[in-house]
Amino acid sequence: MLEGLVSPDSLSLSSMDMSVLERVKWLQKQQQQEQVVSQSSNNSPELFQILQFHGSNNDELLQSTFHHFQMLGSDFGPNYNMGFGPNEAMDGCISRTSSCQMDQVDTMGIMLKSSDEDRAVALKNKRKSEIKTKEEEKTEKKIKVEVETESNMKGKSNMGNTEASSDTSKEISKGASESQKLDYIHVRARRGQATDRHSLAERARREKISKKMKYLQDLVPGCNKVTGKAGMLDEIINYVQSLQRQVEFLSMKLAVLNPELELAVEDLSVKQFQAYFTNLPVVVDSKPPIMVDVPLFPLDQQGSLDLSVINPNQTTSIEAPSASWETQSQSLYNPSTIGFQY
Amino acid sequence: MASPDKPINTDVPEKNAFALHFLQTLSNLRTQNPFNSPNKTNDRVTKIKKAAYVSMARAAGGTNRLWSRALLRRAAKEDNKIVRLRKKRVTWQRRRRNQRAPEVERLRKLVPGGGGMETSKLMEETAHYIKCLCMQVKVMQCLVDGLSPK
Repeated sequence: MLEGLVSPDSLSLSSMDMSVLERVKWLQKQQQQEQVVSQSSNNSPELFQILQFHGSNNDELLQSTFHHFQMLGSDFGPNYNMGFGPNEAMDGCISRTSSCQMDQVDTMGIMLKSSDEDRAVALKNKRKSEIKTKEEEKTEKKIKVEVETESNMKGKSNMGNTEASSDTSKEISKGASESQKLDYIHVRARRGQATDRHSLAERARREKISKKMKYLQDLVPGCNKVTGKAGMLDEIINYVQSLQRQVEFLSMKLAVLNPELELAVEDLSVKQFQAYFTNLPVVVDSKPPIMVDVPLFPLDQQGSLDLSVINPNQTTSIEAPSASWETQSQSLYNPSTIGFQY
Repeated sequence: MASPDKPINTDVPEKNAFALHFLQTLSNLRTQNPFNSPNKTNDRVTKIKKAAYVSMARAAGGTNRLWSRALLRRAAKEDNKIVRLRKKRVTWQRRRRNQRAPEVERLRKLVPGGGGMETSKLMEETAHYIKCLCMQVKVMQCLVDGLSPK
């Protein structure tokens, strides 16, 4: 744990640490861009003050975490310098470096679950909100959206970090963030609920279900007129039931027909078989009408199947299907010519 | 991992494969149990129905689909066969069980293997199942039309 924290680029990280670190890195990058933008656009002295204020806070926080690390491990020092070196070397700007350090310290505090955790999170949130108020003064909508998404992401990552012991919470938060990106305004409207990750996950789940319900609605005939989820489900249930009843009825018909007819499938060659069944109408295009109460099947509706080879002399009796017929069918009919795949 | 942009995959099932399986099963039934045995119509009906469902499940992706797996497993259980299907994890939350809608419960009973599915998964499986049932009805209708004396 400590090693993974101190040297973030090491490959021996666990997946959870990696994801957290990556997120933090991404957030850092965004923050830097943001701050560059804000400095270039409005060089307000307040922002500098805020950042410097946090820098000063940062120092004591940093020291406390440093103490903590020293308690935990001795080889922290060089790695610590190594980790923070590039940030300082990149630019000499006070505010940027302070913000970067701040983030690092924040993550360390959170991930070690030290006593600094609460303070770090609180500081981060505070700073975020302040920056956000700064940003909202601007007229550029793009930046605003960016900041807001970031703040949302931030809140979620905080949540994930503070309770990050299970992978499921990670997944939920990730999926929820994706859904949040999709209909951003929708979530933004009721922000009070959005911080709760259960409601986020629930919203994502409901969205998924409604998407699949829409797909089912296209599939079931007569389902477009019905409004409401319950009515749609009723329609779907009726359709499935009618189809199952139809299958039952057809099998009954087959059972009645069977004693008089022989299914001479062995005599059929593959080409004959294919010729029979390529004449069948396409299944999906024309759906059969729902015949729940009317067990009427017009016999010459689909007369394309010509089974004249069959001799109506022998009786066919039926036994339960076994696993052996599969191998026999594969030996009888070459599967490559017909094209099933197993 | 929940990916909301994943398209719903419901391929059109192969009607040739289903018809071939079904015919093969019927003929095998005849050869295994010769016609001198007393034919009870009800027994025959259930057996043909079962053969139709099993053929449909086999034609529709075998063990890849949850409903076809459940169907095959049920059929094999009725035959007192040892079932050897690859185990698959079905993700669903137990805590949701007491707050389900009654319509969804009814649908769960209709779709084979629907009892242990998540609701969104149930919808997906239902879509595929409906497509397969349509295909099955068409093919069986053709068979009946072809076999019926004119």
